[in-house]
Amino acid sequence: MSYFFNISACLFLVILQTTVMPYIPLLDKFYDLLIPFIVYLGLSRPVRESLPFVLFLGFIMDNLSGGPFGLYLTTYFWLYLGVIGITMFIQVGNRLMIITVVIASGVLFENLVLLGSFAILKTRPQFAGNAVEIVAGQVLWALLTGSLFLLFFRNTHRRISLGFKRNPARAREQG
Amino acid sequence: MFSRKMVLIVGFIVLIAVNIIGLSVTSRRSTSFGIERIALSAIAPFQELVTRSLRFTRNIWRTYFYLVTIARVNQVLLQDLSQAVQNKNQWHETELANMRLRDLIDFQRNISERVVAAEVIGKDPSAWFKTVIIDKGEADGLTRGLPVVIAQGIAGQVIEVSNHYSKVMLIVDSNSAVDSLVQRTRARGVIKGESTDQCRLDYVLRKNDVRIGDTIVSSGLDGVYPKGLRIGFVSQVIEHNADIFHEVIVTPFVDFEKLEEVLVILEVQKHDWANRP
Repeated sequence: MSYFFNISACLFLVILQTTVMPYIPLLDKFYDLLIPFIVYLGLSRPVRESLPFVLFLGFIMDNLSGGPFGLYLTTYFWLYLGVIGITMFIQVGNRLMIITVVIASGVLFENLVLLGSFAILKTRPQFAGNAVEIVAGQVLWALLTGSLFLLFFRNTHRRISLGFKRNPARAREQG
Repeated sequence: MFSRKMVLIVGFIVLIAVNIIGLSVTSRRSTSFGIERIALSAIAPFQELVTRSLRFTRNIWRTYFYLVTIARVNQVLLQDLSQAVQNKNQWHETELANMRLRDLIDFQRNISERVVAAEVIGKDPSAWFKTVIIDKGEADGLTRGLPVVIAQGIAGQVIEVSNHYSKVMLIVDSNSAVDSLVQRTRARGVIKGESTDQCRLDYVLRKNDVRIGDTIVSSGLDGVYPKGLRIGFVSQVIEHNADIFHEVIVTPFVDFEKLEEVLVILEVQKHDWANRP
């Protein structure tokens, strides 16, 4: 069931941010919605279940994006490891403040990795003038909405899991 | 003396006569005796009550209960209206698509190369890269490096191909470069993307004349884009005293935010320098 939810969420998020969001004026420079999802996987799901999805998502995004292959794979993998590392030192649980900061840091981290790759690979002689504006906007959006997305993923997963568990129980009762 | 039967008959005739006379008298008189008033005063309130009640009921029926039917009719009408609006919108979209496709066909007639029309189905998930996904791939004859154009000008080039889909790097991407000419003065330079809505024209020597509004076209020397395709217009020229090149900002003719259909040029006529006579 978790795999079903993870695959559906991945597809939904990828399609949403490649087909719908670029055409909405305010959201065309929205942060990567897969970051809250990866943070959710890191915080709430076991490693053997979530790690393949993190790598799968990185692979998909690298294929869809125009950047050098492996950028998203790298970003997501290290972000995931970072989240796992944080959970070893801090009890995150349902603390919204920590979740928000983790997601915003994830967004900042992704942008730094992308900008760092430009600098290392020298694909861009000089950063676009609005680079700071884009990064700041994305981090701000993440601070405002990141934890909401994570809670949404968590609750949806919980509800679907409960739904799946109840149905066989009911069937047994009726039978 | 008179039989009972006789009395009844006479009485009946008299009654009829009195009735007729009475009627003829009352029909000529306009004044009433007041009984009518009493009757009117006594009955009218009940009449009024009943009538008002009936009207009230009728109004309730018409304005409330009858509204159930009207609401249903209204719902049907709203659905019809919604359908009509949807149809109108669809027709409008079709009309716009028709206009765009006409432009593309007109443009297609003007270029000699074989082309394939494709639709944009997705955009780059990152704000840092400017690529789009189109719905044509290897099965349609696409390969890496093919130029992608629309009627307004050059859009980009194919950088990845799958069986039925391809990824196109737009000319505004920071990895893009197009060998170009200033149409008026034939000054040469390289159009580079900025990952914004604008490009830069690099390597234009200061001795060359470049002015705001000049049209930039492809030179054809990069082996990717055919010669003479429009790219954009010069929107800013910045002079640096210590530099041998102009700093030229170019605004592309293509509105990349509204890119929906494109043409992929399948066979670019390349300069065959090796076998040149």
